[in-house]
Amino acid sequence: MALKGLDIFKLTPKTNCKDCGNPTCMAFAMKVASGALSIDKCPHMSAEALSTLSEATAPPMKTLKVGDLTLGGETVLSRHEKTLVSKTLYAVAVCDCMDEAKQDAVLASIPKVDYERISERMYVEMVFVNHSADKSAEDYVALVNKAKALGRPIVLSCTDVAAAKAAAEALKGTDFILDGADAANYADMSAVATEAKVILGVRGASLEELHATVEKLEAAGNKNLILDVGEASIKDAYAGAVEIRRAALKDGDRSFGYPSIVNVAALAKGDAHLEAALMSLFTCKYGSIVVCSEMTYAKALPLYGLRQNIFTDPQKPMKVAPGIYPINGADENSPCCLTVDFALTYFLVSGELERSKMPVNLLITDASGMSVLTAWAAGKFSSSSIKKFFDEFDINNKIKSRALIIPGKVAVMKGEIQDKLPEWSVIVGTTEAVQLVKYLRDEEWKKSYKAPAADGAPAAAAAEAAPAPAPKKVIPAPPIVVTGPYKLEDKEVKYKGHDPASKTFVTIGERIHCISPAIRKAMETYDEGPILKRAAEQIAAGATYLDVNIGPAESNGPELMQWAVQLLQQNFNNVPLALDTANKAAIEAGIKVYNRTNGKPIVNSADAGSRIDNINLAAANDAIVIALCSADGIAKDNEERMMHCHNMLERGLSLGMESDDLWFDPLFLVVKGMQDKQMDVLNAIKAFSDEGLKSTGGLSNNSNGMPKHIRPIMDSALVAMCMMQGLTSAIVNPCDLRLMETIKSCDVFKNHTLYADSYLEI
Amino acid sequence: MPFVKKPQVFSAKINELTLGTGDKAVTLGGQNVYNLYSFDAPIANAPKIGIDVSDDPEQPCEGLKNFYAGCDTLAQRAAKAAALENVDFVCIRFDLADPNGANKSVEDCVADAKAVAEVVDKPIVVAGCKNAEKDADLFAKVSEALQGKNILVLSAKEENYKGIAAGAGLAYGQKVGAESAVDINLAKQLNVLITQMGVDGHNVAMNVGSAAAGYGFEYVVSTLERVKAAALSQNDATLQMPIVTPVGVETWGVKESTAPESDVPEWGCQEERGIDMEVETAAACLAYGSDAVILKHPDSIKTVAQLIAALM
Repeated sequence: MALKGLDIFKLTPKTNCKDCGNPTCMAFAMKVASGALSIDKCPHMSAEALSTLSEATAPPMKTLKVGDLTLGGETVLSRHEKTLVSKTLYAVAVCDCMDEAKQDAVLASIPKVDYERISERMYVEMVFVNHSADKSAEDYVALVNKAKALGRPIVLSCTDVAAAKAAAEALKGTDFILDGADAANYADMSAVATEAKVILGVRGASLEELHATVEKLEAAGNKNLILDVGEASIKDAYAGAVEIRRAALKDGDRSFGYPSIVNVAALAKGDAHLEAALMSLFTCKYGSIVVCSEMTYAKALPLYGLRQNIFTDPQKPMKVAPGIYPINGADENSPCCLTVDFALTYFLVSGELERSKMPVNLLITDASGMSVLTAWAAGKFSSSSIKKFFDEFDINNKIKSRALIIPGKVAVMKGEIQDKLPEWSVIVGTTEAVQLVKYLRDEEWKKSYKAPAADGAPAAAAAEAAPAPAPKKVIPAPPIVVTGPYKLEDKEVKYKGHDPASKTFVTIGERIHCISPAIRKAMETYDEGPILKRAAEQIAAGATYLDVNIGPAESNGPELMQWAVQLLQQNFNNVPLALDTANKAAIEAGIKVYNRTNGKPIVNSADAGSRIDNINLAAANDAIVIALCSADGIAKDNEERMMHCHNMLERGLSLGMESDDLWFDPLFLVVKGMQDKQMDVLNAIKAFSDEGLKSTGGLSNNSNGMPKHIRPIMDSALVAMCMMQGLTSAIVNPCDLRLMETIKSCDVFKNHTLYADSYLEI
Repeated sequence: MPFVKKPQVFSAKINELTLGTGDKAVTLGGQNVYNLYSFDAPIANAPKIGIDVSDDPEQPCEGLKNFYAGCDTLAQRAAKAAALENVDFVCIRFDLADPNGANKSVEDCVADAKAVAEVVDKPIVVAGCKNAEKDADLFAKVSEALQGKNILVLSAKEENYKGIAAGAGLAYGQKVGAESAVDINLAKQLNVLITQMGVDGHNVAMNVGSAAAGYGFEYVVSTLERVKAAALSQNDATLQMPIVTPVGVETWGVKESTAPESDVPEWGCQEERGIDMEVETAAACLAYGSDAVILKHPDSIKTVAQLIAALM
């Protein structure tokens, strides 16, 4: 909860004494608000003001721990605003008012639901042990001891101080929660909880009473609390859960900034389906711990799935664990279908495979949770990653079938995979999951299946005997021939040159990208025509740099990149280039033959995660590097973006780079889907600019999925706003006339180029 | 500082949309607070429950087979369904019209719909077979046949909204459902397009997408929440249509609800699993923004009705 400068100013002594080194208290307050100065630089702040400030900057909701389990710490009411961080935990209730047989039956049922779903263990995390007023402390302790044997954190629900004390004693050394403070007993209960160093649950006859009790507990120094929403009625409990969370996060009420506990077992009064409905309701809004009377698979299967969905980070893709997933009773002799670990891909593909009713082994490889084509373009789904997966999971020994069906969208990888897995018959499958049913039922894959020379073990042995991979038919790069100036519709296209010191906006043309089928094909066959044509179009349209994306190019990366670099630079007056591939050797090879007349080469790209090494590569080769301010998935806020930015900056500088050679990419987000995050991106650009850093990025991503005629309008508006914020470059489609005209116009306003009536033509 | 309630009441409200006629007519929407937040302000119309009745006699569980035992026609099943307590409207679904399936003719569907209208006095919602072209034709013809019944057709999609807006909405004054698949931008666009055709926005309901709990339901959550937030906090008139979410058709198709007990004995009774999947998904839809849910199982309907009543 950032305080505004004016709020801080109100807390200063307002004497303008200059002891802090600032001319006025107002100037000081503004710097504190921006994070440039810390509040203790003012020696005259009152203790009261300091505590108000620390209170105001404290997180709106406390994060509490029970053993390894986390409660609270939420900052938003809806997952789409950022993310929800602490999933709802479930407890099963047992009471000392039950007869012993019933108690034992309930306790025995708790471990029954325990399974894994998308890499998450689904089980009852806690046991809720209730004390009934007409039972003795001894009865309660006996039950608590039985419950303790399950080895899960216990929630003691007990308003009787003596019984609570005895139960706490019995639980000494374990993690538990003491849910029992109310308006009458809070002081004594708090003493018991404090001594045991556990979270204290607080309840009240109304929200007002609950709030007042919490304030008293806080005044006494206990801020290790959880709030019980009560059992009076479903309506009141729901109102409580919502109002408590809303007061904390929306209205900044710190006394309600605690996790909540909802006893659904008491609300449902024995109706199992109603209990299921209530568990779902309070998982949605806003139960931190939800207590039920019994956890069955019927309740659990939808509930845990729902919870997993709600508490996924919208910024991070949901991943399934890599491995072999046998479908329809597949065994070692069933054919294999290979795909990526993106959860939606998995659900889609596994669903269709199930519908086919054919036994198939679904092989899921680690692709950082990206979809097939995205992962392939990013080098996360490649013949090497697949080979690594086969080795790691010992597929060759676990599965006897040698039929490997790969997604049709990455048919281009077939040769490379075949080279790396010579004992398999690599088959190009369907491009869409829905086509799989027919493809498998009709056994269409068998048409492309080539039985390995020798079956099973001999095949592996053969591979061992001849460790050198069979020479792959890689077409050698043809020599570069420049036959006079390149002409586009009879007009000569000449790159006009670029002064690296110029402040004008740098456009990096994005049109030479292997995700385009025409370019992919041209690169496979060293066909210069389509590549030169796209280069010429972009240069004629005024691109400063050209991006050259050759894909993962595992078998011939260095050669292909060198060919592309020389082809483009020799035909177009040494146009400067951004070298774009996951293949590091290819980038290095490209730089070796690169001509720097019009600017250093750009390495596209590094990030703060697995691709951070590309900063080293840029440093070692005196290149510029595009530094994506993300690690795994999109940064959740600007604090994280800036953290990544500073990490990468530090690394670059320590390797001897100039800060000007790191171009920071805030990661442009698509409006259709992430409209509410667009201002974050703009503010990140301002933050880079304020620190004197250069920036760039795939700006046109904002308009992905919009109609063709809209995209230039959105892109132009965004580039103008970005340039105002200090963006120095962008990866764009230079053939978008409106965009290029906007950029030129903004360069005039920014006084980077002198205006003339014909400014658009130069 | 003592706690003072701060009810979140908006100056905007969700459109009221009335289905059916006479004393069995039901009204969806109308609230100026977030869904189920009756503690913020009285809710004009409690969320409604529809029952899903397909022309395909196949049922997903024993209980439903027994419930519809003796009913041979869609009309008989619809009458049986409509007689259930807590059912606000009946959604008849023409699964068999699918050209890639049984390809039942539009004329036969119209005859079915007419027969249903004769025996059901609760409001009727008509769902198609998901084939855009067939649905457009089907909705137009059923709308003609059921003129004056004030039905809702579910739904017009990006591919066929023109025919449906014209055929059902403009020509016969029926209510038009606008369907998009968890895409808030498309949800808005479709409403704009349908109203640009001349259909009054107050005669439009939305289905912004649905899924079973656990199956990408997070997209449903965010879409529902963002639609309601835009409608209420930004007073976006193009998103103030009430939301009708078909839940049963989604939940009774996933393996948690369909796998026979013999395949997964540890999961227990198949029907119980199906009911809880339906109930939990419906509760979540209502919590995040649905103004009506369409369910299949009588026990689910009873439970969800209990939940709604308890929260009003």
